[in-house]
Amino acid sequence: MSEAAPNAAETRRIAEAARDRVRFEEEALELSDQVFRVARRLVGSREEAEDLVQDTYARAFRSWRQYQPGTNLRAWLLRILTNLNIDRGRRVQRTPDTQPLEEGDYFLYNKLESSIADENPDEERVIERLSQNSVVDALAEVPHDFRDVIVLVDIGEFSYADAAQILDIPVGTVMSRLHRGRRILKQLLAEKSVIA
Amino acid sequence: MGCGCDGCESMMQPYLDGMLSDEELAEAREHLERCPPCEKRYRFEEHLRHFVRVAADEQMPEELRQRLAGLRSSPPAAQL
Repeated sequence: MSEAAPNAAETRRIAEAARDRVRFEEEALELSDQVFRVARRLVGSREEAEDLVQDTYARAFRSWRQYQPGTNLRAWLLRILTNLNIDRGRRVQRTPDTQPLEEGDYFLYNKLESSIADENPDEERVIERLSQNSVVDALAEVPHDFRDVIVLVDIGEFSYADAAQILDIPVGTVMSRLHRGRRILKQLLAEKSVIA
Repeated sequence: MGCGCDGCESMMQPYLDGMLSDEELAEAREHLERCPPCEKRYRFEEHLRHFVRVAADEQMPEELRQRLAGLRSSPPAAQL
């Protein structure tokens, strides 16, 4: 009788761990659409994004014990993903400071508005000058330090704090890159919409 | 070209991100009420952010979903 007790406790412990693991895997899989959406814009091609997401889940399922329940699982998965992306030898671009001075925040609006014949058009008509493709193309051309932040905050809807943790940079850097990145994106959009 | 006031242009992102102090926010609001060109540009920026989010969206391929499910160590909960 006395030997049965530890076995029962051990059995219970194993069963609990198995249940925790199942729960972890289910929760992680439920987030896969959102993880893919971010991955797709962090890297250049769909194939790359698919490989990256697959590797991310393989690693997450192996390291599931390192995840602290109750914390942001989506951010935890994206942290793995961005690290894998860097490990894969994403070419390190020069620092943001070497970027050309970008135009102001009104530049795109002014450019689009001037291409419309009407005086003083509504902003809805101005935005119609943009195509979905031009946004995707322009985003891909934004230098990656800036693009990472735009993708996480404006597309992935992560908080500044989560984006800072995922990218391992200070929150202030997230905000300054976000503001400059959006201006660069708008400048690229202005160039594309003028050609089109 | 907006109202020609550089201040409004550089305030736009912090304003929309909710990063202004109460004082700055009151100042910005007061200006926007008086300045339709700036107000329009601020609204455009909001539309643009939404447009970027929607335009950048791409559905995850079903085949990838299945590959991910295949990576799990355990059978789905329903089978336990």
